[in-house]
Amino acid sequence: MSTRREILKAATAASALIASPSLVFAQAAPTRARTLRAVMHGDLAAFDPIWTTANMASYHGGLIYDTLFGIDSQYRAQPQMVQSFNLSDDKKTYTFVLRDGLRFSSGEAVTAKDCVASIRRWAARDGGGQHMFRRVTDTPVVDEKTFRIVLREPYPLLIDWLAKASTNVCYMMREKEALTDPQTQISEYIGSGPFIYNRTESRQGARYVYDRNPNYVPRSEPASFMAGGKVARMDRVIMENMADPQTQVAALQAGEIDFVEWPSLDLIDTLEKDRNIKLEVMNQSGTMGWCRLNHLHAPFNNVLARRAMLYLTHPTEVMKATFGNEKYYRGCGSIFACNTPTENDANTDWFKGGQNIDRARQLFREAGYDGRPVVLLSASNVQHMTNAGLLYQQWLRAAGVNVELVTSDWGGVVARRANRNPPDQGGWNIFFTSASGSAYSNPVSLAGHASNGTNAWFGWPTDEKNEQLRDAWAAAATPEERMAAARAMQENAWNYVPHVHYGQWLQPSAMRANLTGMIGMPELAPFWNVGRTG
Amino acid sequence: MLSYVIRRLFSTLLVMAMVAIFVFLLLHLSPGDPAAIIAGDNATPAAIDGIRQKLGLSDPLPVQFVRWIGHVLQGDLGVSIFSNEPVLKLVGQRLEPTLSLALMTLVVAVTLAITFGVLAAWKAGTWIDRALMVVSVVGFSVPTFVVGYLLIYLFAIELRWLPVQGYTPMSEGLDGWARNLVLPSIALGLAYIALIARITRASMLDVLSEDYIRTAKAKGVANQSMLLKHALKNAGVPIVTVIGIGVALLISGVVITETVFNIPGIGRLVVDAIAKRDYPIIQGVILIFSGVYVLVNLLVDLTYTVIDPRIRY
Repeated sequence: MSTRREILKAATAASALIASPSLVFAQAAPTRARTLRAVMHGDLAAFDPIWTTANMASYHGGLIYDTLFGIDSQYRAQPQMVQSFNLSDDKKTYTFVLRDGLRFSSGEAVTAKDCVASIRRWAARDGGGQHMFRRVTDTPVVDEKTFRIVLREPYPLLIDWLAKASTNVCYMMREKEALTDPQTQISEYIGSGPFIYNRTESRQGARYVYDRNPNYVPRSEPASFMAGGKVARMDRVIMENMADPQTQVAALQAGEIDFVEWPSLDLIDTLEKDRNIKLEVMNQSGTMGWCRLNHLHAPFNNVLARRAMLYLTHPTEVMKATFGNEKYYRGCGSIFACNTPTENDANTDWFKGGQNIDRARQLFREAGYDGRPVVLLSASNVQHMTNAGLLYQQWLRAAGVNVELVTSDWGGVVARRANRNPPDQGGWNIFFTSASGSAYSNPVSLAGHASNGTNAWFGWPTDEKNEQLRDAWAAAATPEERMAAARAMQENAWNYVPHVHYGQWLQPSAMRANLTGMIGMPELAPFWNVGRTG
Repeated sequence: MLSYVIRRLFSTLLVMAMVAIFVFLLLHLSPGDPAAIIAGDNATPAAIDGIRQKLGLSDPLPVQFVRWIGHVLQGDLGVSIFSNEPVLKLVGQRLEPTLSLALMTLVVAVTLAITFGVLAAWKAGTWIDRALMVVSVVGFSVPTFVVGYLLIYLFAIELRWLPVQGYTPMSEGLDGWARNLVLPSIALGLAYIALIARITRASMLDVLSEDYIRTAKAKGVANQSMLLKHALKNAGVPIVTVIGIGVALLISGVVITETVFNIPGIGRLVVDAIAKRDYPIIQGVILIFSGVYVLVNLLVDLTYTVIDPRIRY
């Protein structure tokens, strides 16, 4: 018969046996101090940053891939993978030479062939890339490390497109992946960036693990946005998909995670009181709330009704209802967002005058509005869109407009907004969305700035002058010329009114107070350069 | 008995076939477009169309249904539209956390609930009975997520005894595994405890008023033996029934509990899939859940014959 002591011994041995894989694992995995655990704004649903414009895919890309150029904190393109480049005298041929020592995490050297294939795949999907490739005649590979982009005409934006941080980012992949049809998602995620995606440790929908790339050779310059030395100071970065905002904050307070990209604004006060946590606005160009109008159907097929929407919109009420604390929002009259390189005040008297419901009512009357229901699509699972729906409903009614507010989740809105039928046949008149201020600042790459009719983004505005001005912006040779083109574009836009803004907000991120070196920038969450004290 | 089991298994297949049709139609006829979500907000309508074509989402519904059901019949639940991973693999990765949570909740809840129910019936009308029933009413009335937040605040933030969130696989140590499951199990189990405890009490009160119990008491049978051997066994059928019915409660509770405690289980998988309209995952998980639910009820029906040998099929 077993004694109690024997049973205890057996139980201890069994526990040790069960726990033994964890001991082995603990030896292989980096320590907690060398691991950064971050909760981002959403799940990494798809991994191909060219196939999707989702920001999470771009974050993933930023960690594992590198770029030929990167923007710095002054929004200037700086060489990253490129050692040197030059432009021919006729300004139609760029020649790029890659840095020494660039390797993919699989061990292969990065070659010019990889880069050309990556650029071509990116250009098939990205708005800026498409704009550029309409002028590209050839992309010859000169040798292992040298390639060229040959243009039909001078195109000053080329380097800016290769450096931009807004989706789709021109990440360099292996030729093997880069030759994948741009409409099909790649299935292997091998890059030459500062981190390596650890597929074994990752769990789709739960957590995504990135290990420091020991073979990565960072540039010697200090890190600045996407430019400079991308030095991975943490051995491992884990992006946790944690859906519940209350749990995110509790886990941060308990020290189980280090960083929450978008903590719920309701909980900011709680976080501000915790001395172990600091709050920082990482993206100073913020996010724009955007009321998109359908130009195909009445009443917004009439410019006067669209102008009425400018006067109808209160510059900050939606923001106030959603974010409360004035520190984190502002009104913005620039079509290129505020605190961006293209911000300007051309043709913004309507904004400076504030909300004017009487003027809006008069303009709707002049537009011949006949009382038909105006269909507003509102997403109930996105707070600023819910509030925008309710406030616009109230304002439109005050201006004498018959409103039908259609509420669904965001997935429902994105499906219905693609419907070009009249509103009473499944279409719509207004929907609400948002875009980063940084993306907004670019007249060409943001799909919403195009006004080329049925080829345009949802809402399908048509304005030839807008398209000419976008081209003029792209062709501008100097920053001054480019700014003049942006002003002209805004002057024209607020006359034909492609859409309306309902505010701009700055989302603070929350992190443990002992984190250092976090690079705050629009569009990306770069986790290189991040360290920990104590 | 065997023919009964075969009949029930056959009916399970029929139920799952109906669930498959219903879920497919519900998903595909409700608003939402995975292609638009994949492409992202800055994508043009042409880019979205391209993705839709590639994924076969532009095909007529009957074509899509036949394609899906054909794969299901071969044991293939398809691949996630977003991650390209097979649904079975994704479910497999999430199975351990969900099973761990459900089993721990089931064991803790059934043990506590039956103890409480028996105790309340034995001490009917006393303060013990009233206190236990008040606790069970509260347990049934307070939503799982509220209980979850309160537990996190008290035991994880204030006392720092247990982790706020997450899941440690059993292979990484039983200690971490159990520590991560304590709070979610209590949060999820509270309503379940309340439900089973109340049924146990009511059923025990019925049995305790029977003549044979009075006879047992008169013969001097000890309380413990009288309650557990004579009364509880005879009160068992309704208790087992409610445990079976409660599995549905458990399945819906798992979804919320996994979200609050950030447990990477099947509940989280399906919630995320619904938000993204990842049809193959939603369809696959609902099929699996419905199969589990039907089989649990079959098990409950078979358990009746063990508890009460008079029952025959």
